[in-house]
Amino acid sequence: MKFVTPVLVLCASALVGCAHGPQSASVPMLPGETASPATVAVASYALEQHPASLQLAKDEAASPPTQAPPAEKAAGEESDADYGMEVPAAEQVTISDPLEPFNRAMFTFNDRLYFWVLKPVAQGYSAVMPEPARVSVSNFFTNLRSPIRFVNCLLQANFIGAATELFRFMINSSIGLAGLFDPAGGEEINLVRQDEDFGQTLGVYGAGQGFYLVWPFLGPSSPRDTVGMVGDFFAYPLSYLDPWYAWLAVRGYEMINDTSLSIGDYEALKEAAIDPYLAVRNAYAQFRQKKVEERGSTVRRPGPSIPGAGTPARGVGF
Amino acid sequence: MLIGLGMLVLILISAPVHAATPLETVRTEVNKVLDALRNKGLKESAKKETLRLVYKEMFDQVELARLSLGNNWNKLTEAQRQEFVELFQQVLEKAYADKILAYTDEKILYDREVPISKNRVGVQTRVVTKSKEIPIIYRVVQESDGTWKVYDVVVENVSLVMNYRSQFNDILAKNKPDELIDILRKKVKDQKS
Repeated sequence: MKFVTPVLVLCASALVGCAHGPQSASVPMLPGETASPATVAVASYALEQHPASLQLAKDEAASPPTQAPPAEKAAGEESDADYGMEVPAAEQVTISDPLEPFNRAMFTFNDRLYFWVLKPVAQGYSAVMPEPARVSVSNFFTNLRSPIRFVNCLLQANFIGAATELFRFMINSSIGLAGLFDPAGGEEINLVRQDEDFGQTLGVYGAGQGFYLVWPFLGPSSPRDTVGMVGDFFAYPLSYLDPWYAWLAVRGYEMINDTSLSIGDYEALKEAAIDPYLAVRNAYAQFRQKKVEERGSTVRRPGPSIPGAGTPARGVGF
Repeated sequence: MLIGLGMLVLILISAPVHAATPLETVRTEVNKVLDALRNKGLKESAKKETLRLVYKEMFDQVELARLSLGNNWNKLTEAQRQEFVELFQQVLEKAYADKILAYTDEKILYDREVPISKNRVGVQTRVVTKSKEIPIIYRVVQESDGTWKVYDVVVENVSLVMNYRSQFNDILAKNKPDELIDILRKKVKDQKS
């Protein structure tokens, strides 16, 4: 259901405050992937790789025992055993967090920043600025971030991605009225934005996240993604605005505009989380891990599925 | 043993007859939600009730809760598990009901099914809003009656189940299962107020 939509996605943006990533509004601020490859493993992949045990667990739990477990307590014990083997610890994406007390303090700071400053300002701004206009503003900044995406596609040897970004920039800067609109991403032209940033590039070349790090204003990050942020800074034309406070003002405006398009997302995340700090940390780890792994795979939009295609044989009870 | 065999046979026979494809199942359930949301004649409370019913029908609560606990599921007694499933479901329901009610104009595209294992499939969808496109994968498992139920939702590459597992892992590293259930109880209570 769509309800989850906002959740995680957003968590990032809101909280995290400013963006370093090239991605604009919603997902932007979650840069980074998780710790070293050793500590990290991907959930989904694990699921894929251990289907057998998963199913076994599920099916046996559902149907009566087929082996010969000791009588009565059998059912309970057996399912225990199954649940145990089914979830190898390696499945999970984790990120080490040696600075947890500091990070929690920064998390609280960003949380207050959001509820006390960012959100009220963004709400006032929404009241005077209609949504289509705010979407266009967001498009405009996203278009200006094209150099980041282009350069990082190249660095990742993703030439189709780089070409895609180049064409997107040309089309959106002209027909799209200086980037206010995104005709290149529309159904007809269908050039999908390539959300690549320098943190991902480092990840592609084997750099692990290191550990979790929450920056005030900037939100979730890691040593690797912090380096990535610096790299992206230099590939972003607006970074070169002359008096430094002009840059700061533009950056602040961009942040408020993005926030105005995702109000409610962070709130939903917090509402759903048992421990919001842990929820955001894990979302960040999963999100960045996957971003690195899926390098270049977003060049083409998934086509509509042919009914039944890809469906595993059904009708086999288990 | 005999009963087991009987059930096995039943499962084998019945499955192909009833089963809609995973993608159709997800589409049907999501459409029910959208219809309710877009029905202007419906009161807020009626919409919430519809959401609750669809949620119950669409999700495999036990599987979702079990996978969210991971290995920690073993640490819970049968009674604790039942209570956990119930409380966890309430947390999710409450947390998302308001958020969903706020949605109306999004377009949802159903892209394809990706097999995960013999009886598990990922249904890839995209929610298209005015300002962005959000990929959502519904992971479904085939139940013994042949129907497909959602046991995980992956939004922007973040798995809901794995996200909760990381939280429960952390909490259970420092607390006993009983205390986790207390935390959930408190969460539900706070949500109500």
